[in-house]
Amino acid sequence: MEFAEPAEHRALRETVRAVASRFGGAHYAEHARQSAPQEELWRELGKLGFIGINVPSEHGGGGGGLVELAAVAEETAAAGAPLLLLLVSSAISVEVLTRYGTVEQRAEWLPRMATGEAKVVFAITEPDAGSNSHRIATTATLEGDTYVLRGTKYYITGVDEAEALIVVARTGVEEASGQAKLSLFLVDADAPGMRRSAIEVDAMLPETQFELFFDEVHVPADRLIGEQDGGFAQVFHGLNPERITGAALGVGVGRYALERAADYARVRQVWGQPIGAHQAVAHPLAKAKVEVELAALMTAKAAWLHDQGLPAGEASNMAKYAAAEAALAAVEAAIQTHGGNGLSSDYGLVPLWSMARLMRIAPISREMILNYVAQHSLGLPRSY
Amino acid sequence: MNVVVCVKQIPDPAAPGALDPQSHTLVREGKLILDDSDAYGVEMGLQLAGDAGEVTLVSMAPNQEVSGVRTALAMGAAKAIVVSDPALKGSDALSTAKVLAKAIERVGADLILAATESTDGYTGTTPVQVAELLGLPSVTFAKKVTVSDGKVRVERQTEAGFDEVECPMPCLVTVTAGVVEPRYPSFKGIMAAKSKPVDQLTVADLGLDASSVGAAGARQEITSVAAAEARGGGDIVVDEGDAHERIVQFLEQLKLV
Repeated sequence: MEFAEPAEHRALRETVRAVASRFGGAHYAEHARQSAPQEELWRELGKLGFIGINVPSEHGGGGGGLVELAAVAEETAAAGAPLLLLLVSSAISVEVLTRYGTVEQRAEWLPRMATGEAKVVFAITEPDAGSNSHRIATTATLEGDTYVLRGTKYYITGVDEAEALIVVARTGVEEASGQAKLSLFLVDADAPGMRRSAIEVDAMLPETQFELFFDEVHVPADRLIGEQDGGFAQVFHGLNPERITGAALGVGVGRYALERAADYARVRQVWGQPIGAHQAVAHPLAKAKVEVELAALMTAKAAWLHDQGLPAGEASNMAKYAAAEAALAAVEAAIQTHGGNGLSSDYGLVPLWSMARLMRIAPISREMILNYVAQHSLGLPRSY
Repeated sequence: MNVVVCVKQIPDPAAPGALDPQSHTLVREGKLILDDSDAYGVEMGLQLAGDAGEVTLVSMAPNQEVSGVRTALAMGAAKAIVVSDPALKGSDALSTAKVLAKAIERVGADLILAATESTDGYTGTTPVQVAELLGLPSVTFAKKVTVSDGKVRVERQTEAGFDEVECPMPCLVTVTAGVVEPRYPSFKGIMAAKSKPVDQLTVADLGLDASSVGAAGARQEITSVAAAEARGGGDIVVDEGDAHERIVQFLEQLKLV
């Protein structure tokens, strides 16, 4: 067993951290308050090959895997500047296109995703089918040489930044089970017939969520990804990477919050000694530190399993669960450590809390992970 | 054009440093990083070498340490020479210069770049000693460097502004932090750095006598080290209508304006 990180991974982490630190927490907080994506940071990391680190090298990417992409997600967040679209464009879309895209689709999209120029987001959730993919109601019907999409998608991240979306739609029904047959389509973000409406949220996040209305959107047949009706398995090839990078982002947020809190607790004096000397302040930070480190270990395991082509569902879910909880505990403890300053705009912790809180809900909720673990890890009866 | 850049690998300035109680020199055990001040020389070298030339790094380091050199290789340098030898322990600036000069002789450079001084030692004397040992001219404190017609043209930072200096090549130039903006290594650069050649040499490989370097050859000895005086309370300027003049006077004394 080897826990020492190779020199090139250390260099990768240090470089991403250095680039993202130039932007940092204040920059993130400002963008989160204004619902403005951190485009400059994305471009800079893209130019250096970090956004497309998991794109195959024959398509101009780094040729790395989830281990490397998770390092990028963690280090940007640890610099105070988490990038949510790494989970979507770099994790789901790149992984799905690389594995299931046609030669033409890979050649068209991956080189520009490698440089960070093009973002491809992911549309699966619906008003009546959140985590239940079997209930997806958006349909795609082959009419001549085009598929026609009809339906609604809900809570789709970053459509305003994207050139295209991978849309999950129903193309049939399994006769035996009555469950939906799903297919994936690459749809231009400005496709005629697709209308979008921003969903107002009170959480401060740079990325915007959208509701999408597909009103007879015509998609050329060559925009089908992989095989028609094979979408269910294909989707899952992208969802584990999303959870792994989500976990890495959570670990990074936790590290950043604890660093800020420890800096503050070492310096802030109220009764003649640093507040960090009091266990009531120190213990929540120490506890969160333990949780962040444990989450980092499970994240590393999940990324490694995925890269080895081994089953990574359990580890990805557990990593995402642990990291979201650890990030929230860390941010919460950091805010409490700062006292009144924890809520002040000068310290930028509340926008970070929004991100940590989101991670308990998305990309998969804490409760759905517990359902998974109960059923698949413990062999308990399915509860839903 | 072939450019040699002298680089130093130093203990991470972010971590608390320690002095060896016997030699009073900085403890250099463990991981070392590329001195930030050398990143400017590496970047300048890469820009001047262009596609037709290449940058070779030359470094002296304890314990065959190469992690800092790998950072510069990831930025785009082609190869490196790292000299490590137990005999080099206790080297002063001149010993270091002897080693670097011998290593540079093996490469054959059109231009040698170095930082004006290192961030850990701050002697600021090694680069010009290297030039002297190689019999080359040197230009220090460059804030701009261009090359044409076999000559290097330098804007040399001074207290009053800058001098325009021209110097035939080969020569050695020390560069300030303002000379260029160093690039970050790309992911491809980081991965490529793994397989770039790093020539690990000893004092004997360079043809140097061990007694002429390290503690044995040092002409400089640190006899004692004392803690710096605690910072005073500072002057408080109370504005009685002339505060602006007194502040300007204060800044003038410090040669800041």
